[in-house]
Amino acid sequence: MLTSQQIGFLILGAMTLGAAILVVRVHQVFHATLSMILSFLGVAGLYVLLGVSFMAGLQLFIYIGGVSVLTVVALMVTRGGMDGQVRIANESVGAAIITLAMFAGLTWLILQVPWPITPLVPAPADDVVFLGETLVAIDAYAIPFELASLLLFVVLIGALYIARER
Amino acid sequence: MVPLSWYLILAAALFCIGLYGVLSHRNLVVILMSLELMLNAININLIAFSRYLEPGQRTGMVFALFVYVVAAAEAALGLALVIAIWRNRDTVAVEEIDTLKG
Repeated sequence: MLTSQQIGFLILGAMTLGAAILVVRVHQVFHATLSMILSFLGVAGLYVLLGVSFMAGLQLFIYIGGVSVLTVVALMVTRGGMDGQVRIANESVGAAIITLAMFAGLTWLILQVPWPITPLVPAPADDVVFLGETLVAIDAYAIPFELASLLLFVVLIGALYIARER
Repeated sequence: MVPLSWYLILAAALFCIGLYGVLSHRNLVVILMSLELMLNAININLIAFSRYLEPGQRTGMVFALFVYVVAAAEAALGLALVIAIWRNRDTVAVEEIDTLKG
């Protein structure tokens, strides 16, 4: 018998995968973008189900708030180049065979291992505090955290430089 | 509770759908969107492993956070490149961007 969490997982998983299939199969690029947002939303729901609600919030901020807007802007700028249409390339049958084989192989590999059924410990009640303490502790991840901010700064300048009007 | 293998199979499926999009599409913007789907699949894996297998519960989350940083950088730079290519060549179809092919 399925528990309520398993039913929630199946609904969210079907939403994520269905929207992802629409992203790669739908013929309008803008519809693909909307499906991508739905897929990101499903992933955020899966994070809530896993008990990491802060990651779900980050997913909403970064992907639905940031990456989707960037994609829509790029789509608007480059509109007309493909007449708004996605034409699937001739190699799509080969790509389907490769990816189906890869999925079958991965699934077989996953089912070889007796994975645990339940999480190891209950989810931390206040995962923002937990993550914050981890990220700025000097004996944990303080240096990668600062490097990440440097990377984002360099990317900001680099993206402006690449996309500027010449 | 949901078994860990369900999350792993879902992430594998999402990764393969993204891979299919990267391999089969001609539009650079759709290829970048498929790449984001693949990165999402990897993040699901990292967080699920962290929740089910790791006593400290922190390494997986921190790794996922850095994947977010790299994904944001990749999206920003990739779309900037798409716009630059559009300005120079009036196309975003991958098979028409072949000047370096020799």
